[in-house]
Amino acid sequence: MTTELAPEPTATHTSTTGAEQARAAKMKERRQVWTWRIAGYAFFLGLWEFASGRLMDETLLPGPTTVFRTFGELWSTGEVPGAFATTLTRIGIGFTIAFVVGSLIGVLMQNRWLNGFFRDAVTVGVTTPGLIWALLTAIIFGNRPAGPLIAIVVTTFAIITVNVAEGIKSLPKDLIDMGKSFNVGVLRRNRHIVIPHLAPFIFTGVRFGFSIAWKVTVLTEVFAASKGIGFEMRTATQLFRLDEFLTWILAFYVLALFLEKVVLERIERRFFAWRGELKS
Amino acid sequence: MTAVLDRPNAPAPAPRKPKRSVGRFLRSSLSGRLTFPLVVLATWLLSIQLVTAIWPFTVDVLPTPWQVGEFMWGEIRGDTLAPYNLYETFGISLRRLAVGMAIAIALGTVIGVAMGLSKSVNAFFNDWVVAILAMPNLAWALFASLAFGFGNTGPILTVVLTGIPFVIINVREGVRNTPSDLFDMARAFDVPRRDVIRHVLIPSLMPFLFAASRYAFALGWKGLVVAEVFGGQDGAGWTIKFWYDAHRAHGVVGYALFFVIFALVFEKFMFDQLSKRLFKWRPEVNGPEVVEQAFDPAAQAAAAGSSTTSAALESINQTTLGPPTEREPREAETRSKNDG
Amino acid sequence: MAEITVRNLHKEFGLGEDKVVALEDVNLEVSGHAFVSIVGASGCGKSTLLNILSGIETPTSGSVGITQDGKPADAGYVFQAARLLPWRSVMDNMLFVQKDRSDETRQRCQRYLEMVQLGDKGSKYPGELSGGMQQRVGIARAFSTEPDVLFMDEPFSHLDAITARTLRSELHSIWAETGKTVMFVTHDVGEAVELSDRILVFAKGGRLADDRKIELPFPRDVADQTVAIAKADVFRTFEEIGALAVS
Repeated sequence: MTTELAPEPTATHTSTTGAEQARAAKMKERRQVWTWRIAGYAFFLGLWEFASGRLMDETLLPGPTTVFRTFGELWSTGEVPGAFATTLTRIGIGFTIAFVVGSLIGVLMQNRWLNGFFRDAVTVGVTTPGLIWALLTAIIFGNRPAGPLIAIVVTTFAIITVNVAEGIKSLPKDLIDMGKSFNVGVLRRNRHIVIPHLAPFIFTGVRFGFSIAWKVTVLTEVFAASKGIGFEMRTATQLFRLDEFLTWILAFYVLALFLEKVVLERIERRFFAWRGELKS
Repeated sequence: MTAVLDRPNAPAPAPRKPKRSVGRFLRSSLSGRLTFPLVVLATWLLSIQLVTAIWPFTVDVLPTPWQVGEFMWGEIRGDTLAPYNLYETFGISLRRLAVGMAIAIALGTVIGVAMGLSKSVNAFFNDWVVAILAMPNLAWALFASLAFGFGNTGPILTVVLTGIPFVIINVREGVRNTPSDLFDMARAFDVPRRDVIRHVLIPSLMPFLFAASRYAFALGWKGLVVAEVFGGQDGAGWTIKFWYDAHRAHGVVGYALFFVIFALVFEKFMFDQLSKRLFKWRPEVNGPEVVEQAFDPAAQAAAAGSSTTSAALESINQTTLGPPTEREPREAETRSKNDG
Repeated sequence: MAEITVRNLHKEFGLGEDKVVALEDVNLEVSGHAFVSIVGASGCGKSTLLNILSGIETPTSGSVGITQDGKPADAGYVFQAARLLPWRSVMDNMLFVQKDRSDETRQRCQRYLEMVQLGDKGSKYPGELSGGMQQRVGIARAFSTEPDVLFMDEPFSHLDAITARTLRSELHSIWAETGKTVMFVTHDVGEAVELSDRILVFAKGGRLADDRKIELPFPRDVADQTVAIAKADVFRTFEEIGALAVS
């Protein structure tokens, strides 16, 4: 709604309308936010670089440039993909088993007696640091692959159990009964009521479980493996090669972030788009 | 019971037979809970037999329950082969944890408040908070041990780095969720600013600060232990590594159990009690569930492995690591229970 | 004597195409021992007017003056939702809005709590009270500061009919006894007719469409015919306004 101009010629500058003002204000805000964001990166990366050169010995804290260079070197020797593959396989197997076990226990815990039975196991599972399991399995199984896998399963299962149990416990009985009263078959009921209800719980369990699993896997590899990222990290530490050590951490960390945020969040957004409207 | 009412002249019903209540007990969840440790013990003994049969060389390594029990009892009496006994060990670790938590909470609150109040500051720090949040404590522990060697600095730094993102996120959430209707009410009545801060602002932030402390404690403790394993010469983490290096599995198991007990006592007991006292004004619900309602979604997402079961239960409501979802921190107010 | 003066009050929200006019050129004067109700459909600016009068919002243009004997007046406010501090006891909530915490003030607060039948609830937390009780605390709180003017924004709309009825008669008693000026926003015409001696009718778009006195004797019985007639009159005004509504 531009202000109405009188028939005679008016001043050369046109007044901006309210809507345009609003749009301009929004753009300004967005620009401001991005500037600050970039400033943050510049600040922290710069701080890191500065600290490495000046505040601390270069060997104790390699700067970002050193780390990237080392990463390139390591990658070209083929060590990186190999270690990644080993670790990722371990995570995959460990997490899958943890998921199955965790879900199973979650289902079983709907029964009152079994709920009492498993309760303390879940509490201990959630409370105990993964380090303990890593040490225990390392002592008992040495370098055998069973050790790390057991440690991963024991550390991860609890969070999945909790989520699955909560999901099942909160199944909307009223909707299911409604379906029954309309003679909707079991398969259709599952498809339209049970699974959509359980899906977010399972997904949350997967997200958190995966987050735990990858961290514990690397930890177990530090103690009880001859291959994999954790092992490489330990070697680098023992040889006091911090640049390599940091490289391994960063590389894996970036990968894990990628898996957690990009992959899982994408899936989540596609499947749970309908929830967006419910969130205010 | 209606039966008696229907037949006013009937004799009183016979007393309930004891068998029925035994049956009920056997089916209750309590009996399930008590059975569990027995099953664990049985499995333990059985697997020792099994493993020894398959891999005879492991006989020395596998601890029996009696060995572990004896070890733990010795430790409790202060009688140990390790350089420090149980109480000294946990005391050292606890002190480090306290210092680390204090720093994490102080610094985290300042940054969190700034981020909550200003979009620019939030943009500056946010990605880095997320980055630190997702970093495994192993990374901090190894790095700290390498950079700072033995002593207190490494473990304390690890505690700070593990805990500070949670504090920041929770405090920021608290600042974003201040009850504007209560502030408006105070303004309408011309309440002086000092009273508003004391009676409205700070109490409204308390649930978030409490959640932050709880997370800082739980995660800080886990990080501390790992840091002590790699870069310490004393403390709980170092001690468990001591027994590991000495190939004394009963020591490792025993100390692991001490860990669990410690965590349970402090986290559940201490924080639950604190929660009951601080939040006794909360309607209906009292206890850890109360504080969970103030948890930040981002903190939830990465609190995987947080040490309280109820916190994990709350995590179900979480979805993204991004902008927080709107919450209803004041359900008590908006709910109207209609009976004059 | 308290005086409320509103001159050419105009309030807008938003910019450009999203602009919303909440209040349009409102003029009115209220003084003395009056109970003025403001009625109108949702979105006609009633709450906005009250927010401006209580200082929570500022006008886009125009002026608002609330004075007692020429000096700025003290105002009390009762909200739709009780807006009690959930982490403080009932008595502490009362004390929060007072000028001091002396024993005399405490006793005064206790007296007002007793006036709304909650004298023994001083140490309870709001979470332990029902919605109706919380609202009564809100009313007691507003009256306990013994303000010159009282603003009430649909205070009974969230309560069940029986509680609301009780509270209405309590409110009337307190008003009659204390001689204050009350401005009372409601969407319930019956309630307005029952309680007030003057009704302001607002139309959509924030325009003050009608200003009439209700000169029936107190206390008023809703079942009484004269009351019913007055109510019908107000409704007729609504219809007239409806025909002239700003789209």
